[in-house]
Amino acid sequence: MYKKFNQLSFVIGLFFFLVSLILFVHILLSDSTGKLNFYTAIAFLIFGVAMMMAKDPAPDQPESKN
Amino acid sequence: MNLKLVDYLIISVYFLFVIGVGFIIKKKIKSSNDFLASSRSIPLWITSLAFISANLGAQEVIGMVASGAKYGIATVHFYWVGAIFAMVFLGVFMMPFYYGSRARSVPEYLRLRFDEKTRGLNAISFAVMTVFSSGISLYALAKLLEVMLNWDFDVSIWVAAGIVAIYTFLGGLTSAVYNEVLQFFLIVLGLSPLVIVALQDAGGWENVKAQLSPNMTHAWKYMGDPDANPMGLHFMSMIFGLGFVMSFGYWCTDFLVVQRAMIARNMRDAQRTPIIAAIPKMMMPLIVVLPGIIAIALIQPALQSKGYSIPVDANGQLNYTMTLPSLIAHYYPSGLLGVGITALMASFMSGMAGNVTAFNAVFTYDIYQPYFVKNRSDRHYLVVGKFITLAGILISIATAYLAQGFNNINDLLQLVFGFVNGPLFATFLLGMFWKRSTGHGAFWGLVAGTLGAALTHGLTLAEGKGGWIAPVFEIKSGMGQAFIVAGISWIINFFTTIIVSLVTKPKPEEELKGLVYSLTEKPKYTQGKWYQRVVPLAILLLAITIILNIVFF
Repeated sequence: MYKKFNQLSFVIGLFFFLVSLILFVHILLSDSTGKLNFYTAIAFLIFGVAMMMAKDPAPDQPESKN
Repeated sequence: MNLKLVDYLIISVYFLFVIGVGFIIKKKIKSSNDFLASSRSIPLWITSLAFISANLGAQEVIGMVASGAKYGIATVHFYWVGAIFAMVFLGVFMMPFYYGSRARSVPEYLRLRFDEKTRGLNAISFAVMTVFSSGISLYALAKLLEVMLNWDFDVSIWVAAGIVAIYTFLGGLTSAVYNEVLQFFLIVLGLSPLVIVALQDAGGWENVKAQLSPNMTHAWKYMGDPDANPMGLHFMSMIFGLGFVMSFGYWCTDFLVVQRAMIARNMRDAQRTPIIAAIPKMMMPLIVVLPGIIAIALIQPALQSKGYSIPVDANGQLNYTMTLPSLIAHYYPSGLLGVGITALMASFMSGMAGNVTAFNAVFTYDIYQPYFVKNRSDRHYLVVGKFITLAGILISIATAYLAQGFNNINDLLQLVFGFVNGPLFATFLLGMFWKRSTGHGAFWGLVAGTLGAALTHGLTLAEGKGGWIAPVFEIKSGMGQAFIVAGISWIINFFTTIIVSLVTKPKPEEELKGLVYSLTEKPKYTQGKWYQRVVPLAILLLAITIILNIVFF
């Protein structure tokens, strides 16, 4: 798990995942909050999870010169 | 505008993450090369997004929304004329020299290609420019937070600078670059809901167009007559001043952005970095120009029931700079408001960290090492690089306070930056593509071009600015004046460099291999699919850019 923190896509995903959780909790606890928070939280959640699951692409094969 | 607990929580999480990135990267920093140049180890997707993010500072985000409101869709010229072509040119033609020469910085390339004095001139002017830019960015952030949220100016300055200091000091360039990628996503995803909700509120794009005069929603149609378009520019001034001189001068020679491509893992990635970065750059007007156009439509009589207004300044004029903050305040509820404010902070911090990391590399490699302390251990230069990072932050803070005390210092510094940057591309163009150009030619060309810029500004007057020698020529807009100053300085540099080069001795061809186009073996890529290769990607991007210009003609 700790090694995951060396992977930038995971760190970015985790950030958006946490922000989406904060927004969801805020929606649940507040009386009047617009749909905008909800839709944004959904979008951030999907993006965050996708980034956390993504793997950094492997480096290119050595390039040919001719 | 009042923030609630949820907003502060989101801001705190952001601060925690950017500092956390610094601590994670710290373990990987073993040498000065790791700290100042990331040891050329950064993957393509990160270098590309960092390349675009280094330019996505506050002046870009807030400034372009303001320009969208003031000049309308013509602001897209800063992207579809003033960026994509230069980025593609950098990737296809110039990166092989920057990367292939193994230079650690742009000034170092100038030393290899020309001589020490040309490198010194460029390094000193660049170091001064970046550190002052960083300070102005910091001042703008603190001022914005003071106006928007009533936050204390001093606290904003020291907290923002402190956070940037922590993560750049710990992880150097890699830390800054990683955070730039996080900041990129935060800015794009944090501001996208604003565009969607504001556009919906304004009744969609067709209704926005119906509210505005046609010259606000056509990019080219009214550029034939300076009096007919909001920018007050003729299309030839636009193409030469912005599309050629300023655009290529910035994207192809400014170490702040070029540095992001120079840290790629290999030549092909270095070339592809600005080209891949051009894809989000092409789309960026959706995030930073469209909101400005929507804002100006929302204040038209037919949409006044929406309740949105752009704040006015002391003279009763629209304060365009406040367009984006006022849109955020109007449309974002608590929670998302925290995301929006964090996105604004991210843009400021991204700009500041980019400047500081470029400053410490140039100062250490191009000023300290050659002129002050040569031939010391790598450990010594690592410590110096870290010290210079802190010094850069402290100078930025001092500049921010200076800007607070003297309102005109921002204008003055921007002006001086324009004088220095305007002619620079001529030096690189001749250096890379004309083997006969010499160090004396490059040096005196830069000096003459900078003086030419100052002279042109002193003889022209636009919107009350310039004309400090004698207001001989009047120009309609400040932007037009900037393009003309840059254009003239470029021409003076170009011809001075040629004339002086022709009467001075060039370097032997053996020393110019890998530094000049005609003497360098061109990289040819036969592996990979077409979309992984430099030239097909570049052609596709240029074609899409031309199509976008036609669609919004």
